[in-house]
Amino acid sequence: MQKAVQTLFKIMPFLFGIGFIAPLIAQTMIYWGWEPPLGLSPIGFGLLIGGPWGLYATLRGRWV
Amino acid sequence: MGVTEGRGATDAMFFREGLVEAPARGDAPAIPLTGDASLDKHTRVALLREEREIARRFEGGKMWIYPAFAFTCYAIWLSFFPLAIMGWLNLPLAFVLSTVFAVGGYVTSHEAMHSNIGRPGSKTRWLNEWTGKVSTIIIVFPFSMARLMHLEHHYHCNHPEKDPDYPDRADGPWHAIYKTWLNRQPGVDGSIHIYKRILAEMGTKEAADSLKDTIRLQLIFLAVLFGMAWSGYAIEAALIWWLPRHIGLSYIRFYLSWAPHHPREERGRYTNTRLFKSRLGHIGSIGMETHFVHHLYPAIPSHRTKEAYYALRPVLEKRGVHCPEI
Repeated sequence: MQKAVQTLFKIMPFLFGIGFIAPLIAQTMIYWGWEPPLGLSPIGFGLLIGGPWGLYATLRGRWV
Repeated sequence: MGVTEGRGATDAMFFREGLVEAPARGDAPAIPLTGDASLDKHTRVALLREEREIARRFEGGKMWIYPAFAFTCYAIWLSFFPLAIMGWLNLPLAFVLSTVFAVGGYVTSHEAMHSNIGRPGSKTRWLNEWTGKVSTIIIVFPFSMARLMHLEHHYHCNHPEKDPDYPDRADGPWHAIYKTWLNRQPGVDGSIHIYKRILAEMGTKEAADSLKDTIRLQLIFLAVLFGMAWSGYAIEAALIWWLPRHIGLSYIRFYLSWAPHHPREERGRYTNTRLFKSRLGHIGSIGMETHFVHHLYPAIPSHRTKEAYYALRPVLEKRGVHCPEI
């Protein structure tokens, strides 16, 4: 159990990128009427940003 | 409870007083009256006795304001979630209020950390504990952890390894603001990492429980954010909880940790905290201009430290403490 929780928190930035940043980007774009590039859906674009960003934060230990 | 709590704390400090050092400041009196070993001990003891007598007049007071504020704000903040989902919420206003509640919540929990709302064994003890518990939910910092870490901060104020707030040390205000962000980054050896290390060193059941509480609250926070975001309420979740938490934590770290303890070099009773004039005033700095008084007498509630400071000022000046106009 402890190991599972530790692993969960280790990859939490990645999960946060997918679980929160991605839909936040998508819904913000819809709210402001911005069109996603490359014919992507808002959530597709959100995942494209949120996923790699979260992965970067997981690997590097910082969001910026 | 530790030695810095309430009257027991001041008693402990009284006996310990001869051990602490307070270097003379620029405007110190000709005859230094600080904790220097060469001083007349009778003078120091007499001054401390006088100081304690004055301080006692400011302990307690209208403590009901803290639970009243904590429970009212928590109830209002909780109501934001269903109201947001129903589309009945003014989001910009809710965002501002949630941020105020996040910062204010730490102030109310801080009184509970020092058992100022209800001492152990008293009739109002439950109120003290619940005030503490509800106050720090917005900042996702469980009361059990907040209390343990804050008391450690009092015991080891400005110690590079033992003071849990030491990572907030910074060269100046802009650096301090940057550190409030940096210390929350997942891979940086910031606040949560030093908390975990200190808890492990404590090795008590209380420490282990507080870590479990932290994990639980963080998981609830993330579950709410993820759930709301994927249900189409990401902006609402961001403005009611996520952003207020981050802004609130930065504000708290800046004003409650960096500003009163800068430059974090001294560890003496009269030198580990500084008196300062804030551009945002006494309320805007959440009473931190006179946080010095809180470190001397934690039983004096936040709303009375300024009043207590002016009453204590003549005694503190005799001791050589630099006492600016605030």
